[in-house]
Amino acid sequence: MKILVADDSRVMRQIVIRTLRQAGYDDHEIVEAEDGRDAYDKVQSEHPDLVLSDWNMPNMTGIECLQALRSSGSGVPFGFVTSEGSAEMRDRASAAGALFLIAKPFNEETFKDALDGVIA
Amino acid sequence: MTLAPESVARPAHPRQVITALMDEATVEAIANEAWTALVGEDELLVPVPGDLPADTVSAWVDVVGPWTGSVVLTTGRQTAADLTRALLGEAAPELLDHEDVADAIGEIANVVGGNVKAALPGPSTLGLPVVGEAPVVRNPEDVCRIDVLWRGQPLAVSVQGALPPLPTPSPVHDNPHPNGASL
Repeated sequence: MKILVADDSRVMRQIVIRTLRQAGYDDHEIVEAEDGRDAYDKVQSEHPDLVLSDWNMPNMTGIECLQALRSSGSGVPFGFVTSEGSAEMRDRASAAGALFLIAKPFNEETFKDALDGVIA
Repeated sequence: MTLAPESVARPAHPRQVITALMDEATVEAIANEAWTALVGEDELLVPVPGDLPADTVSAWVDVVGPWTGSVVLTTGRQTAADLTRALLGEAAPELLDHEDVADAIGEIANVVGGNVKAALPGPSTLGLPVVGEAPVVRNPEDVCRIDVLWRGQPLAVSVQGALPPLPTPSPVHDNPHPNGASL
């Protein structure tokens, strides 16, 4: 399985990847994207099985990326990993077609709760 | 009867200062949660104030909404580098560059700021993290700050209002023809 991790912070991408490993999802191929635009392009070129994306990013935000993907016909499973987890944002994420929203800070248990059933 | 101009200009519902919306215990709880998750499970913030060194670095995010201001993390440069290594773990390069440190402390400020925003009345928007010299405190009444120690080193988290704006000189008086145009 190929997982695309999109965050404008390299440090946060490392933390997400490390948490995936700690949560037991350690045998998957990881692709990184540094903003929403890069994530959109890499969904087209790399065909990941899951996208884990930050919300607030320069160039294209996570929600804009998800909306652009759905408009282009892509149904790639998509979840947010973001520093904001308000009810309004969860509603917007869900309405745009996101499977889940993990609020930072998170730990491996949070990842397991969100990803079990999504990652085979 | 004529109202004095300042009475007319006063808003019906004055903005609340941060201390009316949040206390230090909340900021400390948010910071501790971020530390445990990002820096490490055994990493504690000890609520003991310490003197920040002369050479500090700050990272902050702006919150714009019913309450508008910044969530600012400030610490010494060496502590910021230590934090970066702790966050990157095995992925830390032998030599850290400024970009790594800015990225790491910016992301901590982002996570703390996101959770501060969630505890404030909304709707609000959260800006992207900025790293540099901390924004000045505009209104000392509108500040909720904690001073803590991490691995014995001082660190401050300040939730500080952006209003009222600092007086800025009017460009009309300073330079009537900024582009060099003549009448």
